[in-house]
Amino acid sequence: MQQDHPIKKGEILLPTPTAWPMVLALGLSLLLAGMLTSPIISILGGALCLMGTVGWFRQVLPHEAHEAVLTRTEEVIPYTNRTLAAKIPTSDTRRKNLPVETFQIMTGIKGGIAGGIAMTIPAELFSLLKYHSFWYAINLLAAGGFVHWASASNAFLSEFHLRGLLAAVAIHGFISLLVGLLYGAMLPMYPKYPILTAGIMAPLLFTGIMYSALGIVSPILNQRIDWFWFVPSQIAFGLVCGFVVNLHAKVRTPQFRSLPFAVRAGIHSDIGTREHEGSQSKDHQESQQ
Amino acid sequence: MATQTPITEVVDLTAPKPPKHLWLEVAHDWVTTVDHKKIGLMYMGFALFFLLVAGFQVLLIRIQLFVPNNDFVSPEVFNRLFTMHGTTMVFFVGMPLLFGLGNYLVPLMIGARDMAFPRLNAFSFWISAFGGILLYFSYIGSDGLYGAGSAPNVGWFAYAPLTSPAFSRGNSTDYWIIALLLTGIGTIGTSLNIVATTISMRCPGMKMSRLPLLVWLYLVTAFMVFIAVGPLTAAQIMLLFDRFLGSHFFDTQAGGSAVLWMHFFWIFGHPEVYILVLPAFGFANEIIPVFSRKAIFGYPAMVAATVGIGFISMSVWAHHMFTVGMGANANTFFVLATMAIAVPTGIKIFNWLATLWGGQIRFTVAMMFAIGFLFQFLIAGLTGIMLSSAPFDWQVHNTYFVVAHFHYVLVGAILFMIFSAFYYWYPKMSGRMLSERLGKWHFWLFLIGFHLTFDFMHIPGLLGMPRRIYTYEADRGWMIWNMIVSTGAFVQAVGVTIFVYNLIHSYFKGEIAGADPWDAWTLEWTTTSPPPAYNFAKIPSVGSRRPLWDLKHPEDPDSNYEFNDSTADEESYR
Repeated sequence: MQQDHPIKKGEILLPTPTAWPMVLALGLSLLLAGMLTSPIISILGGALCLMGTVGWFRQVLPHEAHEAVLTRTEEVIPYTNRTLAAKIPTSDTRRKNLPVETFQIMTGIKGGIAGGIAMTIPAELFSLLKYHSFWYAINLLAAGGFVHWASASNAFLSEFHLRGLLAAVAIHGFISLLVGLLYGAMLPMYPKYPILTAGIMAPLLFTGIMYSALGIVSPILNQRIDWFWFVPSQIAFGLVCGFVVNLHAKVRTPQFRSLPFAVRAGIHSDIGTREHEGSQSKDHQESQQ
Repeated sequence: MATQTPITEVVDLTAPKPPKHLWLEVAHDWVTTVDHKKIGLMYMGFALFFLLVAGFQVLLIRIQLFVPNNDFVSPEVFNRLFTMHGTTMVFFVGMPLLFGLGNYLVPLMIGARDMAFPRLNAFSFWISAFGGILLYFSYIGSDGLYGAGSAPNVGWFAYAPLTSPAFSRGNSTDYWIIALLLTGIGTIGTSLNIVATTISMRCPGMKMSRLPLLVWLYLVTAFMVFIAVGPLTAAQIMLLFDRFLGSHFFDTQAGGSAVLWMHFFWIFGHPEVYILVLPAFGFANEIIPVFSRKAIFGYPAMVAATVGIGFISMSVWAHHMFTVGMGANANTFFVLATMAIAVPTGIKIFNWLATLWGGQIRFTVAMMFAIGFLFQFLIAGLTGIMLSSAPFDWQVHNTYFVVAHFHYVLVGAILFMIFSAFYYWYPKMSGRMLSERLGKWHFWLFLIGFHLTFDFMHIPGLLGMPRRIYTYEADRGWMIWNMIVSTGAFVQAVGVTIFVYNLIHSYFKGEIAGADPWDAWTLEWTTTSPPPAYNFAKIPSVGSRRPLWDLKHPEDPDSNYEFNDSTADEESYR
C-alpha cells in the first residue's frame, strides 16, 4: 500500500491524477451508443477504448505512477473548545449503564418451548370440545402454510394429516421460539409487574394485533378462529413463558463493568449511586453559578 | 465551561494548495482526479442534478393526476415520465448518492489514504455518469429508423413483452438497456473497490470487530451488488439479443418466457431495495449515537442483522410476482421469506431505539431527519409485511397502495437518511456548516409534504386506483386523495429547493466547521475539514470502535468496555 512506503520523511505518495479512466469510460459508452446511432460513433468509441486501455496500462505498468506530497506535522496536546451545558448532569465516567443484567439467549428459548407447550392445552381443549377432534386446531394452524386448506371443510380439518402436523409443528415451534426470545429480551425492562405485563398484557396486545390484522391477511382463516379460546391460549403462553424465563438467573452484561466498584461489590445499590451522581452534578452546577 | 479534556493528536501543518482560478485548470483537476473524496463529490453532484430532474418529472405526473380527465400532458409523455422518473431515481439518484457518500466516507472512516483501486474508482464514476447522460440523450436520439422514439416508456422494470420490438418501436428501450448496462459496470467497479478497501486497507488496530457500522453496511451492500447486478445485466443482454438479433428469450409466442424476465429483473430488483437502504441504515448507525451521546446499542447484533438482511434479501424477489400464478408452494415460500426479513430489520429498529433510550438527545437537523427515518421506516416495514402476505397482495397489487409503500421506503427512509447524512457530513466535505435554520425549514416542509403525499396515497390504492394510469374518471372517488397527494408533492419540492439553496449558500457563507463540529467519534473527524488529498498526515491507530472518543477521554476509553479487546475480557471476568 502506498502509505507504507513514503520515499522521504514526511512525504506521502498518492496516485498520479489521470484522465485515462474517463477516456475508457467514454469509449465504452460510445461503443455501445453506436449500436443505436451510427457505426461511426462505435468506431470512435472503439478507438477511445483502445487509447484509454493503453494509457491506463502505462499508468500502472511497469510501476504504478505516484506523486509525492510533502507534509509537515507536529505532535501536540490540544484542548477541545467544547463546553458541556451545565444543565446536563453527567457522571464522572459520562456513561449510561444500560442494561447491567439480562437473560441468556437459552433462557428465552426454554421459555418459548415451555410457553409453546402450555399454549397447546387451551387450543386442544377448544378442538376437542367444539369439534370433537384432536387434529382440528393443528390443521387450522397448518392452514397458514397451505393456503387452500383455509377453505377446507370441518370434516377435512378434523382428520389426521401428516403434512398438517408437520406444518403446524414447524409454524408453532418457530413462532414460539421467536416470542420466547422476545420475552427473554424484554422482561428485564419490566421488572415491577412481570405477571401482569408478560402474562396478561403482552398476550392481550398480541391478540389485538392478530384480531385486527388477520381479517386482512386471511379473511377465511379469520372466520374459523374462535377468539374466545384464542385469548386463553395466548395468556397460557405468556404466563408459562414468563414464569420459566423469570426462573433463570440473570447474567451481567458488559455494561456492569462500568459501574463503580461499590455497586459491583454489592455495598451500594445502583440507584443510590445514580442519586449520588445527580447530587454531585447539582453541586457542580451550583458551583458553576 | 464545565470540562476541557485534553486530547493527544498529530496536527497537520502542511500548507493547503492554493486554489485554482482558471476554469480549465479546475475542470482538469476534476476530470483527472483519482481522489476518492473528489470522486465521491462528483457522484453526489451528479446524483443531486438528477434528483432535481426526476423530481421535476414527478411534479408533472402529479399535475396530470391532480384532477380527473386531465390532459396536462399526453398519454405518451406520461408513460415516458413515470419510466424516466423511476429509472432515474433508482439508478441515477439513489445509487450514485449512496456510492458517492460511501466513496467519500469509507476510506476516511477506516484510516486509509484512498480506495484500493483509485483509477477503477474514477472509471466507475465516469461510466455511470455516461450511462445517465445516454439515458437522457434518448429524448433526442432514440427516434431510430421508425421515427417512433423519444425517451423509454416501458416502466422502470420494463416487463416483457412490452419491450419486444413489436410493442416498443424505435430505440427508446435500447437506450434504457444500454444506459443501465453502463451504470451496472460502474456499480460493480465501485463495489469491488469498497470490498477491497475495507478488507485490505484498514489502519492499524481497525479490526473487523472495530469497523464503524457504516463501513460494515457498505461491505454487505457491495457483496449484494455482486450477486444482484449480474442477473440484471444478463437479462439486459438477452433482451438486446431479442431486439437486435432476433432471439426469443422473452418472446412467449416463440417459446420464450415473459415470466423469465420478471424473475431476472426482481432477482436484481428486490435486493436493490436493500442495496439502497443498507447504506441509509449505516448513516443512522453513525448519526443516532452521536446525537444521543451514547455508543450504538448492540454493535454485534447490528452486524449480524445486516448480514442476515443481506442473505434473506436474496430469497424474497418473487413477492413482486404473487399475481403471476406461481403456485401455492412458491407463494408460501416467498411469503415466509419476506416475513422473515422483518426479524433482522426489527432488531435494527430496537437497537436504534435502545441507543436513543437514556441518551442526551440533540435535535440537530441531522438528528431530526434520522428520527423521521426511524418512524417512517417502521411504517414502511409494516405495510411491507402486509404486502408480503400473498392474499393481501392479490388485492392491492399494482395499485397506489404499493406505490405508497415503496415510496415510504425510498423517500421516508432512504431519502430522509440521505438528507440527514448531508447535514451531518457536509461540514466535513466543505469545511462549512449547513444553516440549521434553513435546515429546519427544509425538514418540516419535507416532512409535512412527505406525509401529505405518501400517507394519503395508500387510500386511492385501497380504493383500487392502479399505478401508472394516465387519468381517471370523476366518479371513482379518487380525486380528493389525488389532490392531497399532489399538493404534498409540491410542498416537498419547496423543501428540496430550500435544501439546494442551503447547500450552495452555505458553501460560500456558512459558518466555518472545524475538524469536529459534532463532537463525534469516528476517524473522519480527526482530520481537517475538508480533508487534504492524503486524508491523514499520519495514519491513525485505533483501540476501539470510537477512536476519537478515546483520544478525547483517555481516562475512560471504550477499549475498557469492548469485549473484542482481550485485556478487557480478562478484566471483566477477574
